Amino acid sequence: MNQRELQIKFRQQAEAVAATVSQAASLEEAFAQAARLTREQGGACLAAPGWSQAETIAIRAACGREGLELVTQGLKDWVGRFHTGLTRAQWGVAESGTIVVDSASEDLRLATMLAETHVAVLGAGNIRDELFALEQELNRVLAQPQGYLAFITGPSRTADIELMLTLGAHGPRRLHLLLLEESS
Amino acid sequence: MSRASRRHYHQRLQGALGNRFLGQTLARFQGNYRGSRQAGFAGLDFPALAAEVGAAKDAALGQMKELFQQFKAKAEAAGAQVHLAHDAGQAREIIADIAAQAGCQRIVKSKSMTSEEIHLNPYLEAQGLQVTETDLGEWIIQLRGEGPSHMVAPAIHLSRGEVAELFTQVTGQKQNPEDIASLVEVARGRLRQAMLTADMGISGANFALASTGSIATVTNEGNARLVTTLPRVHVALVGLEKLVPDLHTALKILQLLPRSATGQLISTYVTWITGAVECAANQGRKELHIVFLDNGRLALSQDPVFHQALRCVRCGSCANVCPIYGKVGGHNYGHVYIGAIGLILTYFYHGREAARDLVNNCLNCQACKVNCPAGIDLPALIKKTAGLVMAEEGRPLKNQLLRRVMTNRPLFHFLLRRADLAQKPLARGGRLIRHLPHFFAPGQEFRSLPVVAAEPLRDRWSRLALPVAEPRRKVALFGGCLIDFVYPEQAEAFLQLIEGQSIQVDYSRDQSCCGLPAAMASEEETAREVARQNLAALDAEQHDYVLSLCASCASHLKNYPKLLAEDPVWAGRARHLADKVIDLASFLQKEVDLEPGAGQGVKAAYHAPCHLCRGLGVHEAPKELLREAGYDYRPYEDEEVCCGFGGSYSLDFPELSAAILERKLGQVEGTGADILVTDCPGCVLQLEGGLDHRGSPIRVRHLAQALAEAQGKKDA
Repeated sequence: MNQRELQIKFRQQAEAVAATVSQAASLEEAFAQAARLTREQGGACLAAPGWSQAETIAIRAACGREGLELVTQGLKDWVGRFHTGLTRAQWGVAESGTIVVDSASEDLRLATMLAETHVAVLGAGNIRDELFALEQELNRVLAQPQGYLAFITGPSRTADIELMLTLGAHGPRRLHLLLLEESS
Repeated sequence: MSRASRRHYHQRLQGALGNRFLGQTLARFQGNYRGSRQAGFAGLDFPALAAEVGAAKDAALGQMKELFQQFKAKAEAAGAQVHLAHDAGQAREIIADIAAQAGCQRIVKSKSMTSEEIHLNPYLEAQGLQVTETDLGEWIIQLRGEGPSHMVAPAIHLSRGEVAELFTQVTGQKQNPEDIASLVEVARGRLRQAMLTADMGISGANFALASTGSIATVTNEGNARLVTTLPRVHVALVGLEKLVPDLHTALKILQLLPRSATGQLISTYVTWITGAVECAANQGRKELHIVFLDNGRLALSQDPVFHQALRCVRCGSCANVCPIYGKVGGHNYGHVYIGAIGLILTYFYHGREAARDLVNNCLNCQACKVNCPAGIDLPALIKKTAGLVMAEEGRPLKNQLLRRVMTNRPLFHFLLRRADLAQKPLARGGRLIRHLPHFFAPGQEFRSLPVVAAEPLRDRWSRLALPVAEPRRKVALFGGCLIDFVYPEQAEAFLQLIEGQSIQVDYSRDQSCCGLPAAMASEEETAREVARQNLAALDAEQHDYVLSLCASCASHLKNYPKLLAEDPVWAGRARHLADKVIDLASFLQKEVDLEPGAGQGVKAAYHAPCHLCRGLGVHEAPKELLREAGYDYRPYEDEEVCCGFGGSYSLDFPELSAAILERKLGQVEGTGADILVTDCPGCVLQLEGGLDHRGSPIRVRHLAQALAEAQGKKDA
């Protein structure tokens, strides 16, 4: 599959498991989308740990335009207050619509686990067809001591009561994926 | 004592069969699963992948100690503390000590079958610790004081009404049973609070990677991520069999695990943890303990036969496809571990007492085996486990008799002939016995039983088989007890089908029972003895085919090489014979030109015998033949599900045999069929008996008879 086909397949598969997907031409646009989506869902606060200083400035500006509060660290003290967790995803897997998120940072984990909505920014060039194609990269991450690596496929779900599928069991109720067109 | 426990088990089964909600839920669950699983594996070569996983797991099991040492070194270098518990008690103590030393009071858990295995919660609670399960289903059953009834869906036996009632008690607020989302919301709110205030999280692990010292969990709800992130101490309880050498092996298993569990391509969250991760609440680093549990696994991993059981990846598929589980649920079809694998593991982890009655409750329908992502031969291991129980408790009288009679063919056949006299008054001149005296066969009222033929096939043979001058093919016919002594007309129909085709058919009078009933009774030595007798009688070397009209016999003959693998004299002949064994439909398609038939639109439903569709891998041939013969073939959902016969199973567990049969016959009647066709005399017995008992006009035909009738030849 070429890159275009990988993107189409990835999007299809992610949507099949109730994730939503949109394109962004630049990081600025991605941040703007994340902030707008937060406001539209009625959120007032966005958590964005793990971004560089320059990126954080851009996120702050996007939050400002939507009237949102921004928190970037010490998230445990903000539990229940941030609506959105905005993080990067390192890789995407087209076969299953999965994102791979290096979650060694505790704040980053809290953002992706305790938010109502998780928004992940994924470089469109980082999509592979299947997990086996990422073996080398994943092995490098696993070999680092004190690591926490997550494969995430759609929002949290359960079917434990009469097998009725219900989203948002413990983690985020929504997963939004922003495919970043520029090389990242 | 064993009789009392058996009676108690049958009472529980009866209770489950009377629970309408349970029956409906499980039927819906198993029906949905079939479709989801098929979609999940679309485009993949499942048997090949399952064989790869089986081989990879076997390799890992063979080096369990080495993998443990390697894992320990890597994980400790990354800041984890690694423990090895030799048994359940030791594992409980280690975990309680960790809690005491770290000053933990509140524990949250994500789902771990291993912690169920060692009955961890009651022990920790007795130490004054507060333990909260955070998987929704696990929380529900914890609140009810029950164990899981399924490895993946622990509360599948409960209705929304029961959950709403429970949550009303827990919250003190009326909960609406029709609003499942709001019930989930109750759990989300309560458990979020528990996780935020806990000081210890206990998880299981699906994989332990020796190459990096990482552990992995696979979940949908996301609770395992919170349990391993929020509290300052994390304890992972891991069975030693979860050790794999590297990521590649884990990814191989991961490719099959969610697909086999729920049909998902991958579960929502797969989380890999290496070492003591960042944790602000614990001076920057999490306190991570990884407790490996042996509890018999090291010894089991060295067992030439039973090591297979440790391949299990806990997907639950053996329950999802099991017709017995589908009727009675996990609380009556397992102890802690449920489904087919549970019947085996219960003996090894929880002892003979817990396993004794369970381990006999298997139809040998092979549905679990062909769906197992690790290629475990579950039905065979179940029989071997039953053999172990029997060896410890002594052979029941019926086994002693079976051995004596079966190994002596003339005696066995003499007794079968005598049955003809004994049953005459019961049959009242007909071909079916509708009312057996209850004391003779309790629980058999759900079906009529056929009478033994007045003249068995072996006595008719010299009249039936006309010599063929220059045969194009030579076939050794294996009758099997039912065709020889009960349904010789099925063999006559076969002979009519091949009339004038220059095919010579030989029927050796020295052939005996195929031996499957002995194998099913865990009488392996008897099974081997009759196999040797049949090998000598059938003389496969002189024939092109060994054909049986009984799918069970054919599939068991195919199994002779395995049965006699250690026998230097007979192993070679067994392989030779197995290569020539063929079923009726495949033989007809290969060798016989049937006239396109005048089935004249008679509506025909088909029942796929377990030993044909799964045992021999023949799925389409019989149906193609029916259509070509002019029948109006009518499919139905459970066509390949067992009819509930299972030989002596239907005598030992008549309540289940009847319930499984009833579901099948209901579906068959729903097709509007005039006839029900199958190609196994055992299935004919069960189906015909059940239909007669229901007063149904549907007639049962062996495939040979249906095809012969369509050829316009004599009604067999």
